[in-house]
Amino acid sequence: MNDLLLLLAVALLSTSQVLQKVGASRRLAGARNASEWVAALFSPELLAAIACIVAGTALWLAVLYRMDVSRAFPFLSLTTVIVMAASRWYLREPVTLHRWAGVALIAVGIALVAST
Amino acid sequence: MTARGGRWLGIAALSASIVLSALGQLGMKAGMQNLRVARAGGELAWSLAASAPLRAALLWTAAGLAAYGLSLLAWLAVLVRYRLSYAYPLLALSYVLVYIGATSWPELAEPATPQRTIGTLLILAGVALVSLTGERAGR
Repeated sequence: MNDLLLLLAVALLSTSQVLQKVGASRRLAGARNASEWVAALFSPELLAAIACIVAGTALWLAVLYRMDVSRAFPFLSLTTVIVMAASRWYLREPVTLHRWAGVALIAVGIALVAST
Repeated sequence: MTARGGRWLGIAALSASIVLSALGQLGMKAGMQNLRVARAGGELAWSLAASAPLRAALLWTAAGLAAYGLSLLAWLAVLVRYRLSYAYPLLALSYVLVYIGATSWPELAEPATPQRTIGTLLILAGVALVSLTGERAGR
């Protein structure tokens, strides 16, 4: 049950990462002054990113209430794995073999921490 | 890369995201820890004036959320400058900072078990491998 909450929070926070990058590239990168920057913050991509963060953070507080932060926080590196996959297949960024090996190490690390 | 001081600004934003996100986690956990203490104190404790743990819970949670919020703003500045698959893994340095903080800060005093230590170090090694592949870090 606690781990389910944890995984749901991680899914929301991962989704937010991808939305932030899409928003940053499409909206923030072209903003030239403060008012354009604020307008970019209220673009659909970044609003959705903020919604995911708010929901994910509320869940995260519920998780921290129930378990050690030194156990819960490493689970967030699952986000790295999800974001890497999204970078590759959704954003079409190049991902090298080294990076996939790193992702594998991260996964083993999470499994170890999860076992405690 | 941006024209004016882009490189240093990028490094400053990246460092701020890493440190602030670790501080945010520790603050939020300290808040939740105090909330547990306040709840254990019973119903009479549910008054801000009467309950020091409840005040501490609110204070730490607010401080943690503020640090977390600032780390997200710094992160947006990072995203404008770097590719996500390069910048994101560097954020994971905060796993080590959180682990050190959670086990050595008396407020939390979490146990440092071999599995957690090795697991956290493996995550860091994985992150290093992901980050240091010699690819250029453009947008």
